[in-house]
Amino acid sequence: MNTPFLFLSCTAPSPTQLGEFLRLIWTFLSLSLFSLGGGNTLLTEYHHISVAQFCWLTASQFSDVYALAEAAPGPSSMIVGLLGMGAAWKEGPWMALVSAYAAELSILIPSTLLMVVACLSWKRLEHSPWRLAFERGLGPITLGILFVVGLKILNTANHGVPGYLVSIVVCVLMLRTRVSPLWFMAVAGLLGGLGIINR
Amino acid sequence: MSATQPEPQLIPAAPGLAPPPCLRQLFIGMLQVALSSFGGGLSAWSQRIVVEQRRWMSDQDFLTGLTVARLFPGPNQINMAVYIGTSFHGLVGALVALAGMLLVPFTLLMGLGLVYFQVHEIPAVDRVLAGVVAAAAGMALSMGFKILHTYWRDRVALLLAAFTFVAMVVFHVRLIPMVLVAGPLAMAWYWPRRTDQEPS
Repeated sequence: MNTPFLFLSCTAPSPTQLGEFLRLIWTFLSLSLFSLGGGNTLLTEYHHISVAQFCWLTASQFSDVYALAEAAPGPSSMIVGLLGMGAAWKEGPWMALVSAYAAELSILIPSTLLMVVACLSWKRLEHSPWRLAFERGLGPITLGILFVVGLKILNTANHGVPGYLVSIVVCVLMLRTRVSPLWFMAVAGLLGGLGIINR
Repeated sequence: MSATQPEPQLIPAAPGLAPPPCLRQLFIGMLQVALSSFGGGLSAWSQRIVVEQRRWMSDQDFLTGLTVARLFPGPNQINMAVYIGTSFHGLVGALVALAGMLLVPFTLLMGLGLVYFQVHEIPAVDRVLAGVVAAAAGMALSMGFKILHTYWRDRVALLLAAFTFVAMVVFHVRLIPMVLVAGPLAMAWYWPRRTDQEPS
């Protein structure tokens, strides 16, 4: 699905180290307030930015990092830290860590500030028509975006029939059972290790 | 330092509730939530610890928090931590609660990330990851289906979702312009009308 073309052609104009760092911070600051529906709606945007636009990661690194954030304990939106890490990896692990923390703080600060204001003025907002319209209007858009995200990750992750099959089976199991997704990842990892799922 | 100074409370003290937590207790409480939820169910754990175990807020206040957290941008569990912190100590409380919730998981993830970027080119690691990634993609695919039933009977909502999907997949519209254009249109359509009875 992802042509090798992407790997070869990803040569974003590379600014200075400081320029790159500031661009990373600005990118995540400006996206923060668009994280509707719990933040997962931003994943296609993360993919676009880090793989196609700024070449922080290759497509397969992006799907690896996504899986890592899903598997690790805690909110999966911490993937932004890993994107920041990938962005500065060529500068060495210490710079990568600094970049990771900067990225995570950038994505969190605007939405946190808005949330604080929302909590303090909730009494007034609760029955406001703006709130009702926002909640009902943005819901369907979020739904549409979540399907976009699902399709994007599906196509980024898989390059063969066995991979797609595993994804679809896991999707059905996620909807029909309450088994922890860690088990699905462990089994699929085993299948991958045995060479059944390729990419 | 300001432990003796009374702070403005969003949540009034009620019978059966513990005294509001100080910043240190807030930090430790959120740390406990984060640690307990290793393995999943963060939201359930935060209710168990904040409402049942530590009795900081009533069930109702907690549910209000969930509503606010889901409504506003940002990851739900992180917004919930912000709500809990803000309820007791405003902005400072929010930052302390966030730090408590993220400290351990984020440090752990950064450790994993450092290892990953070191070893991901090893063929055996790459093979295992190819499998893990296929499973993770299945999880991503399930997100939309999980909330689809909420909109099943609302034809306009389904149309909006389909419109969004087509615009982004077929016409490659990016997220921000998509939300800025479709958002106000959808809000105008769903603007509460005084005449009709709002179903909840």
